[in-house]
Amino acid sequence: MASANLLGSSSLSLATHSTTKTTAASAFLSLFHPKFGRSAISYSDRSLTAVVAAAGIQKRLSGNGFFGNIEAFRRNEVCKRVEIVKDMVVVRIFAGMNSRKLEGRKLRVAVVGGGPAGGSAAETLAKGGIETFLFERKLDNAKPCGGAIPLCMVGEFDLPQDIIDRKVTKMKMISPSNVAVDVGRTLNENEYIGMVRREVLDSYMRDRAASFGAQVINGLYLRMEAPKDEDSPYVLHYTRYDGKSKVGTPSKLEVDAIVGADGANSRVAKDIDAGDYDYAIAFQERIKIPDEKMAYYENLAEMYVGADVSPDFYGWVFPKCDHVAVGTGTVIDKPAIKKYQTATRNRAKDKIEGGKIIRVEAHPIPEHPRPRRVKDRVALVGDAAGYVTKCSGEGIYFAAKSGRMCAEAIVEGSAFGQRMINEADLRTYLRKWDNKYWPTYKVLDILQKLFYRSNPAREAFVEMCADEYVQKMTFDSYLYKTVVPGNPLDDLKLAVNTIGSLVRAYALRNESLKATA
Amino acid sequence: MATLFQSAASPLLHRSSSSCCSWLSASGGGHLKLKGEDAVRRHGRLVVKAEDERNGSAAGEVVAKPRKASPLQRGGTLSGEEAEGKDPSPAALLANKKPLMSLGGGMFEDARWKNGTWDIQQFTNSGRVDWDAVIDAEIARRKWLEENPEASSNSDPVVFDTSTVPWWAWVKRFHLPEAEILNGRAAMIGYFAAYLIDSATGVGLVDQTNSFFGKLLLFIAVTGVLLIRKNEDANNLKTLASEWTFYDKQWQATWKNEEQHPVSEKEIKL
Repeated sequence: MASANLLGSSSLSLATHSTTKTTAASAFLSLFHPKFGRSAISYSDRSLTAVVAAAGIQKRLSGNGFFGNIEAFRRNEVCKRVEIVKDMVVVRIFAGMNSRKLEGRKLRVAVVGGGPAGGSAAETLAKGGIETFLFERKLDNAKPCGGAIPLCMVGEFDLPQDIIDRKVTKMKMISPSNVAVDVGRTLNENEYIGMVRREVLDSYMRDRAASFGAQVINGLYLRMEAPKDEDSPYVLHYTRYDGKSKVGTPSKLEVDAIVGADGANSRVAKDIDAGDYDYAIAFQERIKIPDEKMAYYENLAEMYVGADVSPDFYGWVFPKCDHVAVGTGTVIDKPAIKKYQTATRNRAKDKIEGGKIIRVEAHPIPEHPRPRRVKDRVALVGDAAGYVTKCSGEGIYFAAKSGRMCAEAIVEGSAFGQRMINEADLRTYLRKWDNKYWPTYKVLDILQKLFYRSNPAREAFVEMCADEYVQKMTFDSYLYKTVVPGNPLDDLKLAVNTIGSLVRAYALRNESLKATA
Repeated sequence: MATLFQSAASPLLHRSSSSCCSWLSASGGGHLKLKGEDAVRRHGRLVVKAEDERNGSAAGEVVAKPRKASPLQRGGTLSGEEAEGKDPSPAALLANKKPLMSLGGGMFEDARWKNGTWDIQQFTNSGRVDWDAVIDAEIARRKWLEENPEASSNSDPVVFDTSTVPWWAWVKRFHLPEAEILNGRAAMIGYFAAYLIDSATGVGLVDQTNSFFGKLLLFIAVTGVLLIRKNEDANNLKTLASEWTFYDKQWQATWKNEEQHPVSEKEIKL
């Protein structure tokens, strides 16, 4: 048995090893520590047996934070069996290596839902050589959406400039007492928030997936039949539309795995008992305003906060291609959404006066991930899994990224479509996702709990947004999706200023309550 | 408004099993007709056909199953006062009782409010600025705007920042009175506690302060008075503690599931 000593060494030192074992061990490590990267993995390896010292595991994992402890390690499926041989712990990783090789065919995966999550998942799967079926019930669907994408998405997903209708470089935050703060002074010329039309973005990503070999099927997913054993396929029942008649033909398809990318009302999630989540209702009116008023919104978006606009979210005015979208949302007071929408329109009244409502739309937005995101060979991605951030309600980028990560895990686990996969491979995607984006989600959750709590908190929030350091940190973390620590002295100043703003705002409110009481 | 909504919404209603607008109609917002099998499922009712019922009465009898709550009632919706938020303003609470807030209250006006901020010159008398008056004026403005929200205007933007009022004015106005009250309470409790302990154990004030146990009790008392000033504060702290970790639990739920349904062990094939 070969041994690897990882205690305190950042580089892998394996004394007497064949290349296979070195590759295998570094492949194993890369699953837990991003520093090692992927360059060492060779897919031609038939065995992923890695040998580590138990103390080495403990130390390495406890440094990783979120899921790093030896108990989780023992119980997750990547480690299928832990043996003690002599005085070392031998860990054998399965990751699909135990699954049978598919004879004469590639792995078949169905992606249900053709939005950003489904499109990017289908593209990555098709690129990885897997037979992909992308189901979309309405190919020209304009999903009700804010339509804002961060800068990193344009780069990471190679989006062409012409699908971006507008580049927003300024934002205005407006407090309950109408204190207006301009945000965006810290952006350079190349940084912007892209506003897209969902029908344009979705069809671009679907067409690109099709160009790599995915089969786009215009059909409505109905239900799935669970497989009898690990090698049997799922039977997916759907209604196929041939584009000529409104009534479709019931059809079915056998696939080996399913990626549920069908959005907030996901049927795939229901079929795998994924559980429920809390959701906000986002209500939006598209308003066509006169040209001189539209010029104000040329590259500016507005955010209104206040108890009149929403008890736990914000109201927005986002510019679209030739009109603005005025909307608001709430979790806790959904039946009263129309009242909040009226209040939002009233707050923006001066700027949208003379406008005509051309469309009214609403959609649920998940607030947190579903209790179960993976079951056997079915995984959820995007809104279906519940990957929408708090505070900003951003979901497009995370949908596309999770679709891609899930597809990558399937491609790896199946060795480019040659082997059957199992739940362990899909849990690899979950672990990578949680480790990578948990800090982002948690920070936004803290911000929401702190600043959307009450009117004084919202006043303090808008006051803080005037600070340049805050603007820089906010935009850096939004545009590039990394939680940047920043300079500790500035952070301390920021903390002091935040507390000061909150204390002042609450003092004003408490005094006014005393006066009325 | 309602008809505009319906006509705008009808194009959205076709071959969609999860149309967003079916929600709003289910909650009674309109009379949109739903198509497809989902219409029956969604309303949670079972329509029993006339042939099954042999009593020969009306064309179809509806047997009502306990109705599943509409999508607007589920997913974290709260009711009553809780639906106004974690810390609602009094205006929001009142708004529910009286009819839809009227904007007839007029715009906020004050002689000292100029160009979107308070004109500090007008608060100055004999060279000294009366910061308390500025604070009072801002309180009145915020209260007014909470009850009568106004449109935000570009030609007349509000730029007032509370940090223009210097820190010592805030301390003098808000911190000092409360500190006085809390110190007074602590002193009263301390005096009587020292007296009682002295009469019970004979340990004088100086010896009480020197003992570790005494110091510990003092620390607990001071922290207690700081954190729990009203009866509701105890509950608030408990809620805060559970809120702090709630989101983490929601994210980790998928890993807990895994323990309950472990994937079966496999033989090694090397």
